[in-house]
Amino acid sequence: MTDILRIVIAPLVWLAAFTTVYALHGLVCGHAIGGMPFGTISVPRLLLVSAYALAICAQIILLISLYARRFATQSEFVRFVSRATGWTALVATVWTLLPTVTMSHCL
Amino acid sequence: MKALERHREFSRIWASAPGFKGLFSTVNHTDLGRMFLVTAFFFFIVGGILAMLIRAQLATPHSAFAEPDLYNQIFTMHGTIMMFLFAIPTFEGLAVYLLPKLLGTRDLAFPRLTAYGYWCYVFGGGMLLFSMLFGIAPDSGWFMYPPLTGAISSPGINTDFWLIGITFVEISAIAAAVEITVSILKFRAPGMSLARMPIFAWYALVTALMILTGFPPLILGSILLEVERAFGLPFFQAEFGGDSLLWQHLFWLFGHPEVYIIFLPAAGVISTVLPVMCRTTLLGYGWIVAAAVALAFLSFGLWVHHMFTTGIPHMGLAFFSAASTLVAVPTGVQIFAWIGTMWKGRPDLRLPMLHILGFFVTFVIGGLTGVMVAVVPFDWQAHDTAFVTAHLHYVLFGGFVFPILAGLYYWLPHFTGRQRFFYLGEAAFALIFTGFHVTFLAMHWVGLLGQRRRISTYMPEDGWTTINLISSIGGFILAIGIAMVLIEVILHMLTSRRSPRNPWSAGTLEWAMIIPPAPYNFASLPHVTSREPFTDDPELAVRLASGEGYLGRPNDLRETLTVEITSGKPDYHVIYPTNTHLPIIMAAVTGTFFLSLLLKAYWCIPIAVIGVAALAWRWVWVLGRKQDLPVQDIGHGIELPNASTVEHSPGWWGSLFLLVANATFFGSLLFGFAFLWTVAPGWPPPAWFDASAVELALGTTGAMVGAAAIRRARRANALRQPPLAWLGLCFAGTLTVAIAAAAITLRVPAPVEHAYAATLLVLGSYALFHASLGMLMVAFLVSRTALGFTSAARKTEFPVVQLWIDYLGVIAILVFLVVHLTGWLS
Amino acid sequence: MLVGCDGALSIVDPAGPAARSIALLWWVMLVGGVLIFGLVMVLIALSFRKRAACEDDAGSARLWIVKLGIAFPVTVLLALLAYGLVIGEQLLPRESGETVIVRAEARQWAWNFSYDDLPGRTTQDVLHIPAGRPVDISITSTDVIHSFWVPRLAGKLDAIPGHVNTLRIEADRPGTYQGLSAEFSGSGYDRFTFQVIAHDETGWQAFLTGETE
Ligand code: HEM
Ligand SMILES: [Cu+2]
Ligand SMILES: [Cu+2]
Repeated sequence: MTDILRIVIAPLVWLAAFTTVYALHGLVCGHAIGGMPFGTISVPRLLLVSAYALAICAQIILLISLYARRFATQSEFVRFVSRATGWTALVATVWTLLPTVTMSHCL
Repeated sequence: MKALERHREFSRIWASAPGFKGLFSTVNHTDLGRMFLVTAFFFFIVGGILAMLIRAQLATPHSAFAEPDLYNQIFTMHGTIMMFLFAIPTFEGLAVYLLPKLLGTRDLAFPRLTAYGYWCYVFGGGMLLFSMLFGIAPDSGWFMYPPLTGAISSPGINTDFWLIGITFVEISAIAAAVEITVSILKFRAPGMSLARMPIFAWYALVTALMILTGFPPLILGSILLEVERAFGLPFFQAEFGGDSLLWQHLFWLFGHPEVYIIFLPAAGVISTVLPVMCRTTLLGYGWIVAAAVALAFLSFGLWVHHMFTTGIPHMGLAFFSAASTLVAVPTGVQIFAWIGTMWKGRPDLRLPMLHILGFFVTFVIGGLTGVMVAVVPFDWQAHDTAFVTAHLHYVLFGGFVFPILAGLYYWLPHFTGRQRFFYLGEAAFALIFTGFHVTFLAMHWVGLLGQRRRISTYMPEDGWTTINLISSIGGFILAIGIAMVLIEVILHMLTSRRSPRNPWSAGTLEWAMIIPPAPYNFASLPHVTSREPFTDDPELAVRLASGEGYLGRPNDLRETLTVEITSGKPDYHVIYPTNTHLPIIMAAVTGTFFLSLLLKAYWCIPIAVIGVAALAWRWVWVLGRKQDLPVQDIGHGIELPNASTVEHSPGWWGSLFLLVANATFFGSLLFGFAFLWTVAPGWPPPAWFDASAVELALGTTGAMVGAAAIRRARRANALRQPPLAWLGLCFAGTLTVAIAAAAITLRVPAPVEHAYAATLLVLGSYALFHASLGMLMVAFLVSRTALGFTSAARKTEFPVVQLWIDYLGVIAILVFLVVHLTGWLS
Repeated sequence: MLVGCDGALSIVDPAGPAARSIALLWWVMLVGGVLIFGLVMVLIALSFRKRAACEDDAGSARLWIVKLGIAFPVTVLLALLAYGLVIGEQLLPRESGETVIVRAEARQWAWNFSYDDLPGRTTQDVLHIPAGRPVDISITSTDVIHSFWVPRLAGKLDAIPGHVNTLRIEADRPGTYQGLSAEFSGSGYDRFTFQVIAHDETGWQAFLTGETE
């Protein structure tokens, strides 16, 4: 079972981060935290971008653990697949949450 | 013992009751797989006839063939039948039939559950068919958006048929998914590690896990909508703090994964059949497994692309647009791995290969148009037009029907033991392929010219006449092709040319047996050392038949063994239940429950619930034994403990995955609550819950006491001390939870007045239901212990109950916190 | 007739800036899609050539999976995604002094339009707008979900009870444009259509002073 978990953990964390950021964005827009500025960038933007950064960090840590000796698995096959899904999840995080940086948020 | 003698002996042990009547009591996966497939194919024909009616109606402008009211039922039923009664059950049937054979074992993990799932499917599907025959079928489109489906706009029973019938059918999907997951993880031939699993099993595993997490949001949505319709709890009504968008989120949270639930098994068929057609092995096995897993996860992050036009802010849409384009990458990995496989081998244009080519052409186009509609601005134009209809059929027909036809022709000799005799299939393929593209290719264009989906007619001046006429002609060509397939299959079953044993020279285990298969599959279980055991050892079939593998000695029991998940080392020994009518009776009583809801005969509901509980009790009870079983010799000097003496029995694994589905359901409920709170208009509610610290403390303590007590009971049993006192304490704790949950349901403010109170009522009921279930389980364990069915060795029921009590503890505490905190926060 | 682009409801016959940029997007995607489809088909066809079987699995995996299966789609998709999102941003109804504001309220099966510049005036199933100026439509519904769609001018946006969504449309030239409700809404759905009349400057002034019926 741990080997199955190893394969799914990184994508699972992506899914959690993805829905959390989407929910955060809904919350921000639903409650019009909108205008408040914080220095040069607005609070919502700051929140969303920090969440994005956090999600990327989490994925990098996961990926490092998947390569780490300490958590190694017996099965070479599982090692390969879990690293592939780990990379996928990292790319997915960078890719799918990039709009936090580039898009206008509540229009 | 001679091979023939062994065959007779095993057949006697494993056979279903003879004749037609045997179908009602069979629990054999080969029988049930065939029954699933035949029934699903029947529904495909029904859905296809409806499709022909749609095309007849749209062939000409000003069509007077069907009035909108009838036409709306036709297209709704077409979509519903194809998605829920054809595609998903076809996967279930194929998996049920094939998996034990591919995995080198004798049956699935829970034979009676397979049968129960099948009968739920038949009865639920029957309800929908009934509604159609009497002209009261659902008529709001297959995604059933409220408020159109609410009690005000759709007062008739039509909508209830959908909500209740489909939920019933989904029980069968969940049952099959639990079954398939546990079977793949545990029920394999010794030596079959994860890395040696046939690729179809990987796809089936991923698909089953997706069903477990994809279907609960829809089940939740259907329950909420039905409750709104029946009792006026306003979950989807904006005036009362509900929101129709909640339905769309719940529906598509299911609906998008659904598309991949349909595609992945078909991809599994391609990955299995294509290499055989090319006389080679699959290129990039590990990559493909990773791609399937990635696809599964990504597909849960796409749902909002069906809601691009609902006014969600652009950044929100952008997340989903990004995810929707990204999902094309793992799909691309698979497509190119398959093409690479073709380059690696020497493709042969035999019939399954033709359908695979049909798949390539069609699915690639569908994928490309899919990427197009994933681009937000284009979807603003294309959404709800015929362009989308065309796209979805390229994906579903290309990505499911062609692969399934390839699989049908590939495994037909296996199903029947016969060889193809009349070569209708090639002509049928030509008709289907041409017909399909004539029907749907130009439909993209008519969508761009502004033809909406779901209209029952149009005007000559719209300028769509030519394309629609061509499309309808294509539809009928396609129908003739499908009819020819049907005729060929029937002829095939009547003619008598026996097939050689491994007609395609495949390497997987399902061919290492006599065909049509004997009810026990393998007279002895193989020891697997590679992904293609039959290629490595062409004599394998004979050697297994003569008992050279494991468990080759018949001893009057239906036996198999399980393996450790990763390594495939033998783990424990399993004895299956035999033929029984329990599944069909249980399904009928479950059906009574749903029928009472449908007919609003609420007095009957408690009776049905008690009936289900009693049958469930009996279901589990009959598995017990009063003596300890010794370790079992499975041959080759290996001895295994029996399943009744292990920590994690199949029942434990089944519970675990059922709880995964259950947790998704609960999570969706919490999501719904948060969504209404933050997004829905009409908040704050007129009245808040009157929070009570006493109830909160009582309920939480009860949950913790229950969880602690069941652990002590388990420990006591292991130490040969009587566990009854601890079980009693566990019962008391669970009862306290039930009382605290009941208090919520009784004390919420008027639930018909606001979605807030309505949601609290559902949360309280959810906790109450699980507490009652927990009490029932503890009571069961008490009876078992009192009557001597458990012992320090026969301990396996304790961990199962513990799992459920723990789950109850977690959700109950969450419910209490959410409910009481919202009361205080206000 | 089969392949003509024009039509009163055709999105490939745009008559306003939003529809035009989406139509361009479509043509770009069509060309790209046809090229990719062609590539895949050629690769499949070539696999049928007679040739020595190649058994270098690791090499093939690198070529087929890493290069063609991952690198190629990632590049294409990233470009397309960026293009789509940029267009999407441009089409948003941002604040600007010039926009005309109209409220559209749908019910089964009629649209009521009211005008901020002309309080008290509502029109049913006919929407009046000035040509050449951005118009923001605030869309809502009183019963079930509908959708506001004028294919030649812009994409569609849903009318949802309890929510107000804003869509920007603009017509290049004066004229009459066909509109549709594009979310299934029951038995009257087929005929649930409306018209948009775009006026020139004098026509719009006449409408605002109440001279147009
Ligand atoms: C046998 C050939 C088929 C034909 C000729 C056909 C034809 C059609 C047509 C014309 C529509 C559009 C009605 C409209 O909205 O204007 C439609 C809708 C649909 N079809 Fe099919 N179809 C076929 C097979 C399938 C299959 C195999 C599936 C799924 C596995 C499927 C799933 C759907 C769904 C989900 C809808 C949408 C229904 C709705 O709008 O509520 N169809 N079909
Ligand atoms: Cu989707
Ligand atoms: Cu859609």
